[in-house]
Amino acid sequence: MSTLDYLFQGFQTALIWYNILFAFVGVLIGTAVGVLPGIGPMSGVALLIPVTASITGGLPPEHAATSAIILLAGVYYGAMYGGSTTSILLNTPGESSSVVTTLDGYQMAKKGRAGSALSIAAIGSFVAGIITLVALIALAKPLSAVALKFGPAEYFSLMLLGLGAVSGLAGKSVTKALIMTIFGLLLGTIGIDNVSGIARFTFDVPWLYQGIEFLTIAVGLFAVGEVFKTILEKEEEDTEIARINNLLPSKAELKESAGPIARGSLLGFFVGILPGAGATLASFFSYILEKKISKTPSKFGTGTIAGVAAPESANNAASGGAMIPLLTLGIPGSGTTAILMGALMMYNVQPGPLLFEDHPQVAWGLIASMFIGNIMLLILNLPLVKVFAKIIQTPKQFLIPMIIAISIFGVYAVQVSTYDLLLLLGCGLLGYFLSKNDYPIAPLVLGLVLGPMVENNLRRALTISNGDFSVFLTRPISLVFLIITVLWLLIPFMMKRRGKDVIINIEG
Amino acid sequence: MELKFDYIASVLFLAVGVLFIIGSRSLGSSSYGSAVGPDIFPLILGSALVLLSIRLFYETFVTKNQQGTKEKLQYKPFLIIFVATLVYILTLETIGYVITTFLFLFVCFQTMERSKVILSLLISACFSGLVYFLYVEVLKGTLPDWPIWFQ
Repeated sequence: MSTLDYLFQGFQTALIWYNILFAFVGVLIGTAVGVLPGIGPMSGVALLIPVTASITGGLPPEHAATSAIILLAGVYYGAMYGGSTTSILLNTPGESSSVVTTLDGYQMAKKGRAGSALSIAAIGSFVAGIITLVALIALAKPLSAVALKFGPAEYFSLMLLGLGAVSGLAGKSVTKALIMTIFGLLLGTIGIDNVSGIARFTFDVPWLYQGIEFLTIAVGLFAVGEVFKTILEKEEEDTEIARINNLLPSKAELKESAGPIARGSLLGFFVGILPGAGATLASFFSYILEKKISKTPSKFGTGTIAGVAAPESANNAASGGAMIPLLTLGIPGSGTTAILMGALMMYNVQPGPLLFEDHPQVAWGLIASMFIGNIMLLILNLPLVKVFAKIIQTPKQFLIPMIIAISIFGVYAVQVSTYDLLLLLGCGLLGYFLSKNDYPIAPLVLGLVLGPMVENNLRRALTISNGDFSVFLTRPISLVFLIITVLWLLIPFMMKRRGKDVIINIEG
Repeated sequence: MELKFDYIASVLFLAVGVLFIIGSRSLGSSSYGSAVGPDIFPLILGSALVLLSIRLFYETFVTKNQQGTKEKLQYKPFLIIFVATLVYILTLETIGYVITTFLFLFVCFQTMERSKVILSLLISACFSGLVYFLYVEVLKGTLPDWPIWFQ
């Protein structure tokens, strides 16, 4: 069957009434998550996994996985749309990938052009979303065909590359990021060993036999940790929202932003594919690029429309691009995609090159639903932006305790164990202290999700080579991956030595 | 403050690394039909963690003490909410979902801000009731039931 046939089938899946509903709910919640400062896409997706798991419980397994991932992915790219709203109206980015948008977006709002800034952001995000999807469809088959030729040694090195890249970009200190990665990998070894059947590090506690549940850790570290931070560092803020006048951009504005949108989409897409570099970096780079090639660079920062169009397209394109390594290679390049991968694995669907063969319904259904979701977002965001802007005013008094309650409900619904709830609370505390002291959390979750696969491939490779470690260096592709990993970790380090500022990725 | 935390963290991570090394030594070193066993991966990771935590300790030692901006932390509401969450978790299975969730939410709402008592009561009741109804009655999931003396 050709790619188009698969895509057609994907649309058949995505257009089932409940999948449309799931996509709609996903992008709606995603936009809300993007608008609300304090909940990022990571905690949003993590919080919703248990909820979707219980809603999809009645469906057959493959359908359930498809519907769940449609909703969760909707939250992910929906958050990229929503993040711009607060950046423009309030000068506070809803999540880190919209930080750059504040520079010109808020200035535009001050000048009474909030409406056109918002609509250009939505249009840019939409165009970027569609461009990325087309690229995703074109690249999915060839990439997974290449990945199918990989043996365990190549896979092991590729995963090391993924982990190394995320650690290298994930915070102020590479040492701390690496510690978090390894800590996550170690947590992943707890439980019954898949190969030998031996219980490892369980201390005869039955609760530990099935391993530490990634969901509990992710919700605890991200959502609960974030909530604790908000409570502890309570700040009085004056929320003065800029007025929105005319929503439709003028023809001149559309013309002016066409170039930035196209460049932002392409740049964002390629940055998104790279492991470790996510939406935040993409928006940042595209803003710099626009400023460099602009004829009037001095206009940037004073409210030029290109300064809104480019980063907003880029962060959306990056979130689409990040789906490529996840779906085709089975290697998430960021915290949020790691959580998406964990969600898929909860449904026994293993992302990776075989995904398109074993579960075409899941893979193509998701891709098709992203088309639909992006159209929904465009329709939702243009007229309803005023409604979303209202969400910012949700009083924290009610929001914060409810997030804790939803976390507890979610973890209990899936795990049905008080121990997991205690672990959740502990992780919340840990998450607060870790992120306060610049220990990035995304690598830990990534390590926890990838751990068992890294180990399996390591052991399979070593079994084939009879315990000879040189197998990773003698196979050329594996060697290339390892060299890139080392360079990725060393170059920022060397640059820091020379006193250069290294751009880091705050979001995962 | 930050330096102090980094010292403690590096020592703790060092301890974790050492414990994992010791723990993996007691596992079998090979499994059937393979030269590599379940111990190799945690052993490598544990050693890497030990090396990295030593490096972190060194880095913390070298870095000069930076004066961070001190911010006021709201310890009181945090402690109340933390204890409330702990009590909520521990009593969830004995007293049941609806009652504990209602009380937990109400306490937290009022801790966050001492106002809007009636609205807080209303939201807590709606949230706990709705979640229980939707999850248990509509979706047929399991949540801790009402306590026996209440039924």
